[in-house]
Amino acid sequence: MMRRHLGFIAFVGLLGVCPLVLPEFYVTLLNYIGLSALVTLGVVLLTGVGGLTSFGQAAFVGLGAYSTAFLTTATDLPLWVAPFAGSPWIALLAGLLLTGVVALVLGFLTLRLSGHYLPLGTIAWGISLYFLFGNLDFLGGFTGISGIPVLSVVGIELRSGRAFYYLIWIVVLVAVRVIQNLLDSREGRAIRALQGGTLMAEAMGVDTARAKMIVFVLAAFLACVSGWLYAHLQRFINPTPFGLQVGIEYLFMAVIGGAAHVWGAVVGAAAFTILKQWLQDWLPSLLGSSGSYEVIVLGVLLVVMLQRAREGLWPVLARLVPDTKQPITFEVTEVSPRNPILALGTELLDCRNVRKEFGGLVANDDMSLLVGAGEIVALIGPNGAGKSTMFNVVSGVWPLTSGEVRFRGERVDGMGARQIARRGMSRSFQHVRLLPCMSVLENVAIGAHGRGRAGVLAACLHTERREEREILSFAAAQIERVGLGEFMVAPAGSLPLGQQRILEIARALCANPSLLLLDEPAAGLRYLEKQALGELLRRLREEGIGILLVEHDMDFVMGLVDRCVVMEFGQKIAEGLPAEVQANPAVLAAYLGGAL
Amino acid sequence: MKLRIVAAMLVAATFVSVARADVNVGVTLSATGPAASLGIPEKNTVALMPTIIAGQKINYVVLDDASDTTTAVKNARKLVSENKVDVIVGSTTSPNSLAMIDVAAEAETPMISMAASSAIVDPVDARRRWVFKTPQNDVQMSTAIVEHMTNNGIKNVAFIGFADAYGEGWFREFSKVAELRKLKIVASERFNRTDTSVTGQVLKILSSNPDAVLVAGAGTPAALPQTTLKERGYKGRVYQTHGVANNDFLRVGGNSVEGTFLPAGPVLVAAQLPESNPVKKSALEYVNKYETAYGKGSTSTFGAHAWDAGLLLQNAIPVALKKGQPGSKEFRSALRDALEGLKNVTVSHGVVNMSAVDHLGFDQRARVMVKIENGAWKLQ
Amino acid sequence: MDLQVALLLGQDGLTNGAIYALLALALVLVFAVTRVVFIPQGEFVAFGALTLASFQADKTPGTLWLLLAAGGLVSLFEVGAALRRRKLGLVAPTLLWNLAYPALAAAIAVLGHPVAWPLAFQVLLSLALVVPLGPMVYRLAFQPLAEASVLVLLIVAVAVHLVLVGLGLLIFGAEGSRTPPFSEASFEIGSIAVNGQTVWVLVASLVLVGSLFVFFDRTLRGKALRATALNRTGARLMGISTVKAGKQAFMLAALIGAFSGVLIAPITTIYYDSGFLIGLKGFVGAIVGGLTSYPIAAAGAVLVGLLESYSSFWASAFKEVIVFTLIIPVLLWRSLKSQDIDEHQ
Repeated sequence: MMRRHLGFIAFVGLLGVCPLVLPEFYVTLLNYIGLSALVTLGVVLLTGVGGLTSFGQAAFVGLGAYSTAFLTTATDLPLWVAPFAGSPWIALLAGLLLTGVVALVLGFLTLRLSGHYLPLGTIAWGISLYFLFGNLDFLGGFTGISGIPVLSVVGIELRSGRAFYYLIWIVVLVAVRVIQNLLDSREGRAIRALQGGTLMAEAMGVDTARAKMIVFVLAAFLACVSGWLYAHLQRFINPTPFGLQVGIEYLFMAVIGGAAHVWGAVVGAAAFTILKQWLQDWLPSLLGSSGSYEVIVLGVLLVVMLQRAREGLWPVLARLVPDTKQPITFEVTEVSPRNPILALGTELLDCRNVRKEFGGLVANDDMSLLVGAGEIVALIGPNGAGKSTMFNVVSGVWPLTSGEVRFRGERVDGMGARQIARRGMSRSFQHVRLLPCMSVLENVAIGAHGRGRAGVLAACLHTERREEREILSFAAAQIERVGLGEFMVAPAGSLPLGQQRILEIARALCANPSLLLLDEPAAGLRYLEKQALGELLRRLREEGIGILLVEHDMDFVMGLVDRCVVMEFGQKIAEGLPAEVQANPAVLAAYLGGAL
Repeated sequence: MKLRIVAAMLVAATFVSVARADVNVGVTLSATGPAASLGIPEKNTVALMPTIIAGQKINYVVLDDASDTTTAVKNARKLVSENKVDVIVGSTTSPNSLAMIDVAAEAETPMISMAASSAIVDPVDARRRWVFKTPQNDVQMSTAIVEHMTNNGIKNVAFIGFADAYGEGWFREFSKVAELRKLKIVASERFNRTDTSVTGQVLKILSSNPDAVLVAGAGTPAALPQTTLKERGYKGRVYQTHGVANNDFLRVGGNSVEGTFLPAGPVLVAAQLPESNPVKKSALEYVNKYETAYGKGSTSTFGAHAWDAGLLLQNAIPVALKKGQPGSKEFRSALRDALEGLKNVTVSHGVVNMSAVDHLGFDQRARVMVKIENGAWKLQ
Repeated sequence: MDLQVALLLGQDGLTNGAIYALLALALVLVFAVTRVVFIPQGEFVAFGALTLASFQADKTPGTLWLLLAAGGLVSLFEVGAALRRRKLGLVAPTLLWNLAYPALAAAIAVLGHPVAWPLAFQVLLSLALVVPLGPMVYRLAFQPLAEASVLVLLIVAVAVHLVLVGLGLLIFGAEGSRTPPFSEASFEIGSIAVNGQTVWVLVASLVLVGSLFVFFDRTLRGKALRATALNRTGARLMGISTVKAGKQAFMLAALIGAFSGVLIAPITTIYYDSGFLIGLKGFVGAIVGGLTSYPIAAAGAVLVGLLESYSSFWASAFKEVIVFTLIIPVLLWRSLKSQDIDEHQ
C-alpha cells in the first residue's frame, strides 16, 4: 500500500518544497507549467482518452480569464450581471457557467460529426474568439484589462508568485485525482469506450453523444479554471495568451507528455515549457539572428515523436516510478440478473418482412425470423447475402426501410442501438472491438454500463464505490462464466484472437441479455477453442438465453444450433433444422453446393 | 579631451570594479512576433549601448518576449529574480509593458518602457512609481496630427488602424483630440497585419468622403490601405503614424505613399533639423552610431527609443551609485529617484524633464511633422 | 452602399475567393488521397510569393537552401531505407530528384542572374524551387505515418505548419514584400475600374481549375489519384502506389499554393506568416464541401471571399469573426444532415 503511493508522495513533497528553495524565476516557470498542465489535462481527456481533438482550448482559458477580469474590475455593470461582480469566487462560478454553455453549444454543433470536424471547428472558433476579445471595448480591447484584484484564500492574500504557487498546484493535483477517479468508474469506461468506436459503445448501452459531451465540457471547465487562475496571477490580461497558437501548444504538450495518460499532461506541460524556454534562450545566439525559431525545433520534435514514439514521455517515466494506479478491487459474487430468466421457448425476437435499402440497393428483402428463449438460431449464407446487414438492422445500428422487429413483444425498429441494448439484446462484432490497453475486467465491465446509475460527479468524487464494486463483481462473474478467470487483470490486447472473441461474449453477457447476437464467433478459432466456445453456448442456452449467430463454419453450426435460416441476395431461401437445411436443394445450389 | 575622460573612466573602472558589483540592466523586447519590426531595431540598439557608465561596468541581459504578454511577464520575473537586474528596460508593445508593471512594482525595480500607451506611466500611482517610458505618448503624436490637419483646413477625417493594441490606442487618443478640435471622424475601420485585401474598408472610407485619411499601423503592413486608396483614386491627404518610420515602409509603399504626412520623433530627420534644435546633436549621434553598425538608411525611430532609455540610465546611474551598491534594494530605489529627478536631459527624441507626476517628461520638442517626398522623409 | 460599391466589393471578393477556391481544391485533393488535413497549404502561398519577390530584389531566395536541405534529408532517408532492404539500385531516381535537381535549380538561380529575366521566367523558376518541397514534405513528415489516424495526421500537419512558418521567418525575415503586377492594364467595365491583375487572378484560377479537371478526368495519372482517393487498399491491389499518389497529391498542392502566391503577390504585401490565414479561409471553403466535393468546396471558398469582402466593408473589426463563424452554420447543417453514426475512425 505504502509502496504504491511512494512515488506520488515523493512528487507532492518535492512540489511542496520547490517554492521554498527555488529562485523566483523557477517558481514562475512552475506556476506556468501548472496552469498549462491544467489545460493539457483536458486535452488528454479529449484526445488520448476520448479520441477527440481540440485546438481551441486556449479560447476556453480566455473565457475563464475574461469572466473574472471583467466581473472583478468593471464598474457600472448592467443590473443583471451586477450580482456576479466583485468577488473572484463568484466570477469563477460565472466563468464556469459561461464556459459550460459555450461548450455545450459548440459540442452540439461538432461532436456528432466525424473526427476531423471538431479540431477544424475549434481552429475556427479559436480565431473568432481571439478577435472577439480584442474588439469588445468592455473587455479592454487588444490593450487588455489591468488592475485585476489579488486573490485571497482563507484570508491569505496571494500576492506573490510563491504564494500563488501552492494554489495552482493544489488545483492541479486535485484535478488529476478527480480525472483519475472519473476514468476509473462506469462513466469513465464509457468515455474510454469511445476509442473503440461509437458502434461498439452504443451497442453496450453507452450514450456516446453524452460521453463525448462530458469530456468536451470537462476539458473546457479545466481550461476555464486555468484561465481564472492565470488572470489573478498575472493581474493583467489581453487576448494574446488565448489565441490559436497557444491552443496548438496545449495539444503539443499533451502529445509530448503522452496523450493517453493523466500524468502525461503534467509531464508534457513541464517538458514543453522548459524546452521552449531553453530554446528561446539558446537558438537566437546559435542562428545569429532573432526569431521564433523554437517552433522549428518543437515542430520537428513533435513530428518525430508521432512517427517514432506516439505514446509520449509518460510511459517511459512511468516505468521508473512505482505504479500509482489503484488495483481494481472486486469479488466474484452472484448478482441477481436484472432480466428474469424466461421460460424455454418464450418468443424473444420476431422479425417480420424486414427490408433494408442503401440508396437503391436492397440489402435485406422480406426477411422474417424468430428466435425463442433457450434456442440457438444460425443465420447462414454466402458472402454478401446480407447477414451482417440483418444483424445491424436488428440491433438498431441502422434503421430499416420497412417491416417490423419485435423484441420480447415490443416493437424495437426505429429505436437506436442503445435503447435496444438496454432492453436485453446484446451483441459481439465480426471484427473484435476491444480496448487493447484496458484490462480484461474493465473491458467486460463496459458491457455492464446499463447496470449503474451513478453520474459524473459521483464518479469524480468516488462516492459511487458500492455500485462500482457491484459492477466489477458482476463483470468478474461473467469472465469466470466464460472461463477466462485467470486473465482478469491482463490487458485485453495481450490475449490471442480466440480468447478475445470469447471476451466479447463475456462483455455482451455483462449486459445481462436475454438474447445474444454473435457475429462469426468462431472465425479464426482453433479446434479446441471452437469446442470450448460450443460448450459455452450450449450452457448459455440451458440458462434460457436465446442466441442468434452468423457463422461460416458449417461443422461448428451443424452440431450446435437448433435451427438455421439461410439467406441469399438479401432474402430467406430456407429455414429449418440443420439437417433439413443441409438437404434443401435450393440451399445446396446457392451456397452449400460445392462445400458438401 | 574626450580621450582623457575615457582614459580616466578606464582607470576608475579598474579601481571601482574591484570594489563594486556590476550594474545589471535587464531588457525584454519583442524581437519576434507581430511587433518584430519595432523590436528588432531596439534589440540592435541595445548592442550599441555603453558597457561602462561612471566607471561602473554595465551588463545587459536581453530577452525576447515574442510580442506575447505572458512571455513578457515571465521574462520580467526572470530578469528580476534570476539576473538580479537593477533596472528593466522594456517591453516594446503597450500590452506587454502594462502586464510587466506589477512585476516591477513588486520587485521594487525601476522599469523603462519603450511602448507608446500613456496608461503605462499615467497616473503615477503606487505601482507606476517604478515605471518610466521613452516613446512619445500617442496623445502627443495625435495632437500633432490633429493640429496639422486643422491648420490645413481639413474638416473631416477617416481612420483605419490595425486590429490590435496599436491601432486601438491610436484611435482612442486620436478621437479624443479630434473631438476637442472639432475635427469630425467620419469613418473608423480596422485591418489585420496579414490581410490580403482592405478594399472593403477603403470603399467604406471613400463613401464617407473624408478630407484626409489617417492610417494607424506599424511597419510595412501600413502601406496596404494607402496603396488601395490610391488604386481607388483617392485624392485627399493621407496621414500615417510614426509606426511606419522605417525604410522598409518606403520600399513596400513605393509610389503610393508619396506625399504622406506623419508625426515622428526628430531622430527620423536628424540631419534636416536646424542647427538651433537642441535635439539635433543627440539624434545625429544615434543615427551615426546605428548606421555605422547596421548600414546606411537602417535607422528607425523605434531603435532610438531604446537608445533614449540608455541615455536616461547614463544620466541616472551615476547619481544612484552614490546612494547604494548595485544589486541592492537601496540602489534600485536610488535609481528610481534619480530617474524621476532627471532634468533637461537631451535624448534622440527630445528633451526630458521628469517629475513625480510625469514619468515621460517630453514636451513639444519631441515631435516633428514629416512628409514623404521622392521616397525619403522630409522635415516640414 | 450603392451599386458601384457593391460591384467593387464583389470584384474584390471574387479575386480573393478565386485564390481561396484554388487552395480549397488542393486541400480536398490532399485529404482525399492521403487523409492529411493539409494545414501548411498556406505556407506554400507565402513561399511562392516571397521567392519571386527575392528574385526581383536581386537576392538569392532562401527557399533555395530549404530545397537543397530537404532534398539532402530525403536522399539520406531513402538511401538508408534502400540499404536496409539491400536494394540500392532503386534509389537512382530518388537521388536525381532530391539531389541533382535541387543542385541544378540552385545553379540556375545563383548563376543565371534571374533579376534580368522576363517576369514569366522568374515565375517559372520560383515555382521550380517551391513545388518540389511538397513531395519532400510528404516524404519526411507524412509517408512514415501513412496508416495513422486522421487525427494524428492532423496534428502532424499543424506541426509541419509551425516548422515551415519558423523556416519562413528564418529565410525571408520579418518584413513583407510585394511584386510588380503581371499586367498594368486597367479596364472600365460599366462604371467600375477593373485592374489587370484581378483579371489575371480570375483567368488563371479558371484555367488551373480546368486543367485539374482534365488531369483527373482524362489522364491515367489523374485517374490513378482518384482511385487512391476512393479506396486506398483497392488502389494498391490494382498496382497503384499510395506513396506515389501521396507525393503527387502534395506536389499538386504545392504547385497550386505557390502559384496562388505568385498571383496575389502583386495585389497585396505578403509576409512569411501570411499564408496561414489565407490557407485557413480556403479551408472554410473546403469544409463547406465536406472535404470531399470539389465543386462545393470551390463554391464555398468563393463565398468566403465574398463574405470577407462585404464584412470588411460593414464591420471591419469583426471581419475574421464573421468569416470563421461561417463554419458554425455549415457544421450545423452537416451535423443535421448526417444521420448515420459515423464509424470511420
